[in-house]
Amino acid sequence: MKNPFEKFEIEHLSPSSCNLFVASPAAFVMQKVLGKRSSVGAAAHRGTAVESGIAFALNSNGDVHGAIDVAKKEFDRLTSLSTDPRQDKEASSLADMVIIGYKELAGYGKPSSMQGKIEYKVDGLLVPMIGFYDFEWEQHGVLVDLKTTHALPSKISTNHARQVALYVAARGDNLDARITYVTSKKSATYELENKREHVDALGRIALTIQRFLSITDDPYELASLIAPDVDSFYFGDQQSRQQAFDIWGL
Amino acid sequence: MALGLNLNTSNGGKDFLPIVKFDARSGRMFRRDRVNGENEEVDITKTFKAVVDFENLEIGYINFNTGSAPDFQMMPHGSSMPEKPSPDHKQGVRFTLKLHADCGGDVREMASNARSFLQGVDNLHNDYVVGSAKNAGKLPVVVLSDTVPVVSGEGSKRTTNYSPVFEIIGWVKRPDGLGEAAQAVEKKATPPTTGGNKVVGPAKKMALDEDDFG
Repeated sequence: MKNPFEKFEIEHLSPSSCNLFVASPAAFVMQKVLGKRSSVGAAAHRGTAVESGIAFALNSNGDVHGAIDVAKKEFDRLTSLSTDPRQDKEASSLADMVIIGYKELAGYGKPSSMQGKIEYKVDGLLVPMIGFYDFEWEQHGVLVDLKTTHALPSKISTNHARQVALYVAARGDNLDARITYVTSKKSATYELENKREHVDALGRIALTIQRFLSITDDPYELASLIAPDVDSFYFGDQQSRQQAFDIWGL
Repeated sequence: MALGLNLNTSNGGKDFLPIVKFDARSGRMFRRDRVNGENEEVDITKTFKAVVDFENLEIGYINFNTGSAPDFQMMPHGSSMPEKPSPDHKQGVRFTLKLHADCGGDVREMASNARSFLQGVDNLHNDYVVGSAKNAGKLPVVVLSDTVPVVSGEGSKRTTNYSPVFEIIGWVKRPDGLGEAAQAVEKKATPPTTGGNKVVGPAKKMALDEDDFG
């Protein structure tokens, strides 16, 4: 079978690219097939920054002040060219999220590994699935992915479930998969259920992408098969909105 | 076309049931048995007689060339066809039947995407629809009365397959076992839960446990 990913220079899929395809096939085509870059919002940078801060705290026996400083510096670095109007709001939540998140995870102690790369082969998929997990405590047999948010969910979202299930499948199914949600006021860690089923679901999504890309070699023909919901989050920034208009006239 | 399949343009099992298969290339009907961990195919062409559960007939797309278990994308007959998952999937049918004691006596699954087989099943289904009007609540007793050659292609690509000619010789109440199989066929999996049980880290847990002892 001809590899349909090659013609679009897609070397791998990831949980996030699969979730992107599910949430907005148009955004997937725009970013992954047509190679249009989109702005990363301040909320995403907040997540990265908070994770850096918590990682610092976990590795420094609880130097929370240092952790907050790490988070702020990371956020400033990532958003130095950002025009996202939510930047100030996200910046103001960093310190509380670092403190809350550290308290939630401190009990596990120092992680045995962080930001670990995984690679997973899906049967029939012509590119590998790759990803990066946040924290693993080998001594406890636990892998945790951290999610920052302004509203604490009461359960794991399906997208997050698939993502962490893949990490654990790649690392070894004997690990407990957990997701820690952190807001600026509270936190919760949930244990993932049905890991195998979520990995299988992610595999089916990946194969759907493969079949979709197999339709044609022409990226604009692929784009013509779908239409963007320009009110969605994925086209919220001006750059993405303009790109959608340029591609679809919508 | 009674089954809603487009047999003129393209060719069109449950895992937990043993199968009956019709080999379109030879025009023979086989019962596949599992003997000492090996598949053994028993020719039942001459003796084939079965109650066919057309009430739970499924149509859709089947890919037998996956390299492992076949992939079925099926819908109950009467529903819209599912989307064709891949170029390797072909239109097909799947149904269960209960073999007469003379040719096995158990409940089996039959599925195929071979065009010549589908033509025979389509004709049988037409007869079933006509006959079921006078036999409400009953299922047809079917025999394989003949096979007819179907030639396709030209020159070096000329091939001959065989289409089954089924005949309904009677109508009976649903036999024991066939209903259970149908229910099993219809048993649907549910979406996996993600998890909403809060867990705490080891040190926290230890602290809580200590609290429990007062």
